[in-house]
Amino acid sequence: MHSIEVENLTKKFGHFTAVDHITFQVRKGEIFGFLGANGAGKTTAMKMMCGLLQPTSGKATIAGYSLKSEAKLIKRNIGYMSQRFSLYNDLTVYENMQLFGTVYGIPRKELNTRIFNSLEELQMTEKAKTLVNAIPLGWKQRLAFATAMLHRPQIVFLDEPTSGVDPIVRREFWNLIYRTASQGVTIFVTTHYMDEAEYCNRISIMSEGELKLVGTPQELKDKMQVDSIADVFVKFVNR
Amino acid sequence: MKELMTILRKEFIHILRDKVSLFLVLAIPIMLTLLFGFTISTELRNAKISVLDLSKDSQSIKLIEKITSSGYFQVISLPESEAAIDFDFKNKNVKIAIIIPTQFEASLTKEKNADIQIINDVSDLNVASILNNYMQAVLYDFIADFNENSSSDAPVEIATKMQYNPEMNSVYMFVPGIITLIMIIVTALMSSITLSREVETGSMRMLLITPVKKIYVVFGKVIPYMILSFISTIIILVISVLVFKMPIKGSLFLLLFLCIVFMFTAASFGLMISALVKTQLEAMMVTMMGLFLPTVLLSGFLFPLDNMPYFFQLLADIFPAKWFIIAIKDVMIKGSGFAELWLYMLILLGMAIVLVTISLTRIDKRR
Repeated sequence: MHSIEVENLTKKFGHFTAVDHITFQVRKGEIFGFLGANGAGKTTAMKMMCGLLQPTSGKATIAGYSLKSEAKLIKRNIGYMSQRFSLYNDLTVYENMQLFGTVYGIPRKELNTRIFNSLEELQMTEKAKTLVNAIPLGWKQRLAFATAMLHRPQIVFLDEPTSGVDPIVRREFWNLIYRTASQGVTIFVTTHYMDEAEYCNRISIMSEGELKLVGTPQELKDKMQVDSIADVFVKFVNR
Repeated sequence: MKELMTILRKEFIHILRDKVSLFLVLAIPIMLTLLFGFTISTELRNAKISVLDLSKDSQSIKLIEKITSSGYFQVISLPESEAAIDFDFKNKNVKIAIIIPTQFEASLTKEKNADIQIINDVSDLNVASILNNYMQAVLYDFIADFNENSSSDAPVEIATKMQYNPEMNSVYMFVPGIITLIMIIVTALMSSITLSREVETGSMRMLLITPVKKIYVVFGKVIPYMILSFISTIIILVISVLVFKMPIKGSLFLLLFLCIVFMFTAASFGLMISALVKTQLEAMMVTMMGLFLPTVLLSGFLFPLDNMPYFFQLLADIFPAKWFIIAIKDVMIKGSGFAELWLYMLILLGMAIVLVTISLTRIDKRR
């Protein structure tokens, strides 16, 4: 069963084609890496899948809903997290989680239970009333992820979730991703770290608006006859 | 509705945690009002004057007494020649001088005519024109007294009535101006900054990905600043009425309603600006140069619009401040009602609706 199906999705800005007829599927519970150089069209593609941008043409089914006609239902069933902005610094941990939980329409009592449980899981219960400002970046990231999961989405979009943090924190974060995927949540992740790309079930590489390669890390390495995804990426982008 | 309340709540937390900005937003109106009220007063008292009396008869002495007793002037020098007047201007800080001609009493009684020369120090135009007006008034008064006492056929009769602002109080002019400036700063500037901050940090995308309607996100962020701005307006009005005796001749309800309409327009300008720029800094620059400056220069608050070249008069029409200042002056000073003001309010509301519509479609195209 596919939780993301994209067919000939295209976005043009005037004469510039940012995303050019991309087609791919992502299985339920899969960790799907979305790679590409800066400006390759990753962000634009992701914005379309999240319902932030209207596609110029093509169609997509996200979490079982049509992008064209059921955008509102898609929004209820996806989560989003990015390193660029994770949580409001001048709000406390609890206030942040309450804000994002409430906008997804989770009833107050239920929301409090879920917040308590996920803080428990992260061993951060005593930090509930701390301003996010005062929390180390690594913890903040896991908190942001927990916040994006409060409404129990079927798919989580992670936009460069680990840029700027140290290797240990990244390792812990990926453990969290594996645990979440094993519960049947689909993970759609963009990254510039090639070692992270190796952790994905499947990866795709975008360049100049087109989706050039899709496959498991091993398939891509075999195909390009190199030893690492970093080499695949470099060899591919240099072509 | 619940979504809107959630965003509102979040924005209020932001505002209340940022104590410095909150203090500034509430303190600046008080400071501005007191500053304008006490310093930029167009009233002058005890201006130094020197009088060259070439006549030295009973009427010229009466005139000098009249000038002294008016309270506006303080005769500090009675020079003997025109050259000495020049010396007074340069060395004694004299602002105005008059020359009473020879044979003053004789000219007045026989020819019903006497030429008094007024010399102004126009290195400060404002002071000079105010003092000149005062002096004219004193002279008219003197002539009126003279006519009465001589009971001859009165040569001069002047009657001027100052409608609506009989004491020519400067407070009448600056209070509407300050209310306008504060509403532009608090509503337009703060909302353009707070919206572009969310775009700049990426939190706007975060909010737009959630199922919350875009319009709730935008209004949830702007309404708190409208409330702050409304509080500031009330503070300004209270100070104006209590400290500076500004009248509110029209209905208070209409006045407050007018302020709310203008706040909405100011917020829509802030919204439009935030939809055009990418960063908080740009938002601030564009609001200051593109909105604040025209509000100061082209609203009729400091400089009369009637004398401006036609192009600038047209330009003034597209900024909201002009319409608001006309309307608020009418309510406060003339006591106009809804029947006279609805057109101005319609113009302000029209601007707001157009701008909000354009901005909301533009936010779609932003990250």
